[in-house]
Amino acid sequence: MKKGNKPRVAVWKFASCDGCQLSLLDCEDELLAVAGAVDIAYFPEASSAMGKGPYDISLVEGSITTPHDAERIQQVRRVSGLLITIGACATAGGIQALRNFADVKAYTSIVYATPEYIQTLRKSTPINDHVFVDYELHGCPINKNQLVEIISATVTGRKPNIPPHAVCIECKQRGLPCIAVSQGIPCMGPVTHAGCNALCPAYNRGCFGCYGPMESANPDSLSAWWVGKLKVHRQDVMRAYRTFNAYADQFRKQSEAHEK
Amino acid sequence: MSQTITIDPVSRIEGHAKITIELDEQKQVRDAHFHITQFRGFEKFCEGRPFTEMPSLMARICGICPVSHLVASAKACDAIMAVRIPETAAKLRRIMNLAQHIQSHALSFFHLSSPDLLLGMDSDPATRNIFGVMQAHPHLALDGIKLRKFGQQIIEWLGGKRIHPAWIVPGGVNEPLTEERRDQILAEIPGAMQIILRTLEWFKEASVKYTDEIRHFANFNTMFFGLVDEGGGLEMYDGVIRIVDAQGNVVADRLDPANYQDFIGEAVEPYSYLKSPYYKNVGYPEGIYRVGPLARLNIASHIGTPLAHKEWEEFRGPNKRVILSSFHYHLARLIEILYGIEMIEKLLNEPDILSDRVRAVAGPNSLEGIGVSEAPRGTLMHHYRIDKHGLITWANLIIATGHNNLAMNKGVLQVAKAYLKGTQPTEGMLNRVEAVIRCYDPCLSCSTHAVGHMPLVLQVRSHDGEILGETARK
Repeated sequence: MKKGNKPRVAVWKFASCDGCQLSLLDCEDELLAVAGAVDIAYFPEASSAMGKGPYDISLVEGSITTPHDAERIQQVRRVSGLLITIGACATAGGIQALRNFADVKAYTSIVYATPEYIQTLRKSTPINDHVFVDYELHGCPINKNQLVEIISATVTGRKPNIPPHAVCIECKQRGLPCIAVSQGIPCMGPVTHAGCNALCPAYNRGCFGCYGPMESANPDSLSAWWVGKLKVHRQDVMRAYRTFNAYADQFRKQSEAHEK
Repeated sequence: MSQTITIDPVSRIEGHAKITIELDEQKQVRDAHFHITQFRGFEKFCEGRPFTEMPSLMARICGICPVSHLVASAKACDAIMAVRIPETAAKLRRIMNLAQHIQSHALSFFHLSSPDLLLGMDSDPATRNIFGVMQAHPHLALDGIKLRKFGQQIIEWLGGKRIHPAWIVPGGVNEPLTEERRDQILAEIPGAMQIILRTLEWFKEASVKYTDEIRHFANFNTMFFGLVDEGGGLEMYDGVIRIVDAQGNVVADRLDPANYQDFIGEAVEPYSYLKSPYYKNVGYPEGIYRVGPLARLNIASHIGTPLAHKEWEEFRGPNKRVILSSFHYHLARLIEILYGIEMIEKLLNEPDILSDRVRAVAGPNSLEGIGVSEAPRGTLMHHYRIDKHGLITWANLIIATGHNNLAMNKGVLQVAKAYLKGTQPTEGMLNRVEAVIRCYDPCLSCSTHAVGHMPLVLQVRSHDGEILGETARK
């Protein structure tokens, strides 16, 4: 980006619930500052408008589910400097990727009267299956502070400071007793990317993996512990990995290994 | 190419759709259709999941009103467990639901609609967004940001996070309210109250400028549909269904929401993937009705909080007439925000609000459960069936925006008939279509809730399907 100019930001949406891009509006106290530091130029997806790039930063929400979107993300990549994916849909295919484990035709015919009108891909896939992604923000939804951090890091030209460790670390930082060890509650904290500040364990509920796999997770070990020590049924292990990040590599392999 | 004006179907179709306007052989507008091209398939992928997971899974339908889905889903699960949840839990769910209404209505009014209202429908699309409002009317933008924050902050204080909180669970809520949190929320109430009162005052005065819009924006006869409380007052969480007609006559009253299939039909049109719910006793398509803020204020006989009741009396006028123009959804939303703030204060001051009895625990005791509540955009219905192990075998959702499908089609048709000259849709017509749709604040997360502008493509087709003209939002 040119020095002295405000970076131009575009927000793109694919298949998703909108929660992640709304996190931008949730930055109430920071919103005016963000609006002052960057030039937020949301552009509708009409292809004629896309020529108006380039954008210094593109925030991409949602997964790729239609042939049209598969083309559109290529165009987004072409007009973007930094491409940052936000949320579980964009980074892992989202909850709609649960259909990747089934026959998509069964889905459309059950839900819609005239399924032949529906143009959909067999799978819901993350953005990085299609184009090069510069940075990924995990979470369902993302943490707004991480969004502010990544925008301010980009504006000032430094590396974003977003911890890559597991939810367990955040849990310890809050001083919470481990609910898996002390109460035998199945918790996905050990394999899940930090970012939520150990919200569920704080409510005495096992982590259910909203933030997807952390970089160096060891889900084999966690699953073995669940099945062996906590007597969790294999089907329940499978379901635990099949939620919002079901199609993230490490979670997908675990759920497939526990299908039978 | 292509897109938008998406209508949510029973399952959430994500992404985009386009409007096509069909002409007859005399080149006169015959009909307006929506086409939708993407879907996510919530009804299907929940099959085989334990019913207890449903609130968390279903919240992901929508990042704008996740709490509404949590509430309806948890109520369906309560029915499956066959429990009556503790009083305090119901009150706490009510508070979170009202906070959801406040933040969502604030988003709709300030962030999405105020650019049209303040900057003008013909102003530069590049700045006609909340950031443009910040430049031109910083105080109003700030009020909007603060009011939305009030709602979102309550959701976060209760549930730990603002979007997709995991606090509302089958049988009640996860954690009791602490005294500290209660006082924190109470301390925010006077500020929020000031904002909504001055916004109401401003908007009622400013509305005079919009007489044209009031007259032409989806101003037609329909029935209105929604929940009322036992005494017929405004209700958001529980209660019974009431339907009134355009003249204000009560068509049906005290209907049990759990019997929705007896009185709501779901019509299927070949051109749309979105089902069109209608009132069965009147038939299709005459059984058209509207839901949401305008409908709720039209069906209620009173509002249970003093300031909102006063505004409601003024809104309905001395003869308690039914308000027909969809433009008045905006004012209705502001009145509901006022009600929400008053009601949250009332609930927080109830003596049992800090009780630690907030969750009923039970297994599956009924093979079917239906949960109905009022989401910001209207009546939301979740209906599940399970097997004996508690695993979901079938699910049906009727989303608020679905109820409004027929009315939105009709609104667009009205605009098309009034403004389409020849076969080439104009930018001015696009603006009006967008504004009509915006009145309903449809939960089309894809298009209408983006920061800024609704991407839109409008096609005009001849009676035999040939494309005669097309305009895309630039």
